[in-house]
Amino acid sequence: MGIEIPFDVATIAGPEAGDVAPPEVIGSYISSASRPLLAVGSEMLRDDFFVEIAIEIGKKGIPIAATGHSMKGFVEKGYTENVYYYNLHELTNCLRDPNWKGLDGAGNYDFVIFYGIIYYYASQMLSCLKNFATDPLMRTVSIDRYYHPNARMSFTNIMTRMEEEYKDMLRKLVESIKG
Amino acid sequence: MEELKKGGIFTISDMQNVRINIGEIVEEEEEWEPMGPHPMPRIATLRDWDFKLLNRYKPFYAPVCDMCCLCTYGKCDLTGNKKGACGIRMDAQQARIVLLACLVGCSAHCGHGRHLLHDMINKFGRDVPIDFGPKVDIEAPLTRLVCGIKPKTIGDYDRVFSYVEEQIVQLADALHTGQEGSYMDFESKALHMGMLDSLNKEAADIIQIACYGMPSGFPGDGPDVPFVDVGIGTIDTNKAVIIVIGHNVPPSADIGVFLTENDLEDKVELGGICCTSIDTTRVYKKAKIVSALGRQLRVLRAGIADVVVIDEQCIRADVLELCQRTQSPMIATNDKAMHGLVDRTDDDPDKIVDDLVSGRVPGVIILEPDQVGEVAVRTALQMDKKRRSLKFILSDDEFKYYVNDCILCGGCTLACPNGLRIGEANKSAVAGNIKPLADLFDICVGCGRCEQVCKKHIPIVDVMTKAAYPQLKEEKGRMRIGRGPIWDSEIREVGAPLVLGTIPGIIAPIGCGNYPNGTKDAWLIVKEFAERNYIVTLTGCMAIDCALWKDEEGKTIYEAHHGRFDAGGVLNIGSCVSNAHIHDAAIKVASIFAGRPLRGNYEEIADYILSRVGACGVAWGAMSQKAASIATGFNRLGVPAVVGPHGTKYRRAFMSRPDIKEDWKLIDATDGSEVYVEPGPQDLLVACETVEEALPMMAKLCIRPSDTDRGRSIKLTHYIDLSQKYLSTYPPDWHLFVRTASDLPIATRNELLKKLEDEQDWKIDWKKKKIEEGPIRGYNPSFNPTNLERLIRRKK
Repeated sequence: MGIEIPFDVATIAGPEAGDVAPPEVIGSYISSASRPLLAVGSEMLRDDFFVEIAIEIGKKGIPIAATGHSMKGFVEKGYTENVYYYNLHELTNCLRDPNWKGLDGAGNYDFVIFYGIIYYYASQMLSCLKNFATDPLMRTVSIDRYYHPNARMSFTNIMTRMEEEYKDMLRKLVESIKG
Repeated sequence: MEELKKGGIFTISDMQNVRINIGEIVEEEEEWEPMGPHPMPRIATLRDWDFKLLNRYKPFYAPVCDMCCLCTYGKCDLTGNKKGACGIRMDAQQARIVLLACLVGCSAHCGHGRHLLHDMINKFGRDVPIDFGPKVDIEAPLTRLVCGIKPKTIGDYDRVFSYVEEQIVQLADALHTGQEGSYMDFESKALHMGMLDSLNKEAADIIQIACYGMPSGFPGDGPDVPFVDVGIGTIDTNKAVIIVIGHNVPPSADIGVFLTENDLEDKVELGGICCTSIDTTRVYKKAKIVSALGRQLRVLRAGIADVVVIDEQCIRADVLELCQRTQSPMIATNDKAMHGLVDRTDDDPDKIVDDLVSGRVPGVIILEPDQVGEVAVRTALQMDKKRRSLKFILSDDEFKYYVNDCILCGGCTLACPNGLRIGEANKSAVAGNIKPLADLFDICVGCGRCEQVCKKHIPIVDVMTKAAYPQLKEEKGRMRIGRGPIWDSEIREVGAPLVLGTIPGIIAPIGCGNYPNGTKDAWLIVKEFAERNYIVTLTGCMAIDCALWKDEEGKTIYEAHHGRFDAGGVLNIGSCVSNAHIHDAAIKVASIFAGRPLRGNYEEIADYILSRVGACGVAWGAMSQKAASIATGFNRLGVPAVVGPHGTKYRRAFMSRPDIKEDWKLIDATDGSEVYVEPGPQDLLVACETVEEALPMMAKLCIRPSDTDRGRSIKLTHYIDLSQKYLSTYPPDWHLFVRTASDLPIATRNELLKKLEDEQDWKIDWKKKKIEEGPIRGYNPSFNPTNLERLIRRKK
């Protein structure tokens, strides 16, 4: 098996690069978190299906930080129960602080799922968490159609022609997250 | 003794070969204002101010690279904030790289300014007066503020550049292995570099305004400057075409002079790319702006240039190769960008032109600006005839062949900075629909990385250009030429409404074209804020890009709005170096409206601006190291900036934590009492993912503790409205900015009071329509906010 290429090929940060993993493994990994958070970006809005996936994850009790202008998608679907608008840069600034009270005031998170976020923006925020949210360790995954070396786990790069396969992966992922 | 000669040189009678040089003669300076506490600050002088900023807006780091490769101890792996062999931690290393970026940016403007000063002194002498006419008394706010100098002639800028150069060397020294180890101190140094950079920009623009008579404060200037054509479609290719690229205007100005003096203005088109184009239109009224930086590759590939003239900064490193491809001779005019060519300065122009036209050489270097015009124009006229039959846009058959040849491997997408799905667009083109490819043209940042990885060697940039060519030919915008300084009289008019908040803010779109989603976002930002009565001041590539789009009436944003520094104005200030006038406008508000002393008084003025002047920069497509130093310079002066998502690759941001109460303690200078305030401005440097998110963010970052209740209600109206319009939600933090019921917009006051009661548990007296409990603080119209204890007038 060859080495996976980052979606933006030059995004090779250093010796520590995350793993490519299938949806069931990532789902199981998410399930191991005690306080996970789903950070959603504006790329989610490209298709209703992806909004529905975020909502499915939200319904499993994982709070959602709607970054970029992704909030529109949740409002349009009438799902805002555990959805909070937050700028991703500001959110990451909070996430790196173990003393942050979280979106609900109950404390910081131990696991962040990145989803629907512009690749290079997500990559930089994942880099911040990888390098500075280490004590206690914050685990991160990406469930976008990209390989993200700065996340501990992510999917592989998925070309547009494989869109249906990607949707299947997301379905399997949602199924494998224990609520 | 014979007479004293210029430069402090005199000779003594009857003593041959004896010369005494007494160096600089310092004339007694006119007493114009008492000197403030910090003239010509050194690295540590303003460190306390920096630390006040850095303790509230704590540096945030997102490394692009987890390693350090700067010395032979390494490479060192710093992942997880580990230390390298020299002892530096990841956070300090990131701050070091930020300082390095600011060093490069600041040096570019300093080098440019110094170069310009040399050329101008050489051409016009040292004594060119700095006189910007009846509308501008404070001619050089940053020079006065930082250096304590009131410049009277361009020669006075020798001292300014000497100061900056010395500081740059000291700051560069701090980058060496084994020097600074604290990220906070690296950031303080970066802020110092940013301030120096703002000074460079002001110096450079003042020198060129003074020497070339660019618009300033005379009748016909300012808001009344003429319009200029913008866009590839405005270039008449039936004429000889000269394209100038870069930032340093003297060679381009000489082309304009040669065209005018030889009655060739109607035979040769002079168009430009990037800031040189903006500045050329300030000196030669028939010049045109072809494009901003983002289209450089595509304009050159389109082959419209009969001659390309480059000066400095933001020129593609492969420019010579591109020129050779289209048989466009190139003239390099600056020793910072010589591209391996032969220096032909002072050669016979006939010989140079002959060598260029015959193709014996692909280009030449001419370092004397006043020799460029003749060679460029004569070469262009001859090349026009020679190149007329050449075609560089793909034929229909070629286009068809290439899109069919695509194997959808996705390599181009992985190489693209914006991850564009080019293969899919090719696939649509094969099926007969070229719109997806044409649409990509504007989103593409024009780097060409895709072509280098294409397994089928498809000239992807050319394919995209071909698809978009029908629109491209019609790309004809209009913008005002760069007006330079904001008039003192305009500041007198708007100072109060800006500080009180009734003009909701100054929005300053600046910088490069590395946009996440094309040039239209630049237009949308300007439109949205101008229509809401903010003052929009633009410079550089964003000023150009937003002129490419038109409203339903066919007007560009400049045509649809006035050019006054007043509510609803859309002002093209000028090139990159002109954006110092935006700093200057904020400084003048403190000086003219509030009567704060300027001279050597940076800290107090920055403190004033941070708490009272609702200004926000936006570098939506920031790309260069100059953009890093520009933003950092704005930040030290107390002006926040928003960047696009690519801006996170600068590695560092400055964001506060509104939830940490102690970070938001200000002093009321009236009596020295400590006051916890709302987070305004919340961030000094922050990225947004999309323009939809950036719009409410910018509105929020214009909120200041000094706002009156009326001003705050206007600012809150826009913040809430933009959030609802673009994010479909109330901003989650709007309540933090409410001090009293009259801070709430009248039209929605009841609704908002109800929300405060229901969602934030605030106590509302509904009979009096009054907030009884809840806000961070109450509204105090005489609140005199400061971060500086020394400004307390009378302690309680």
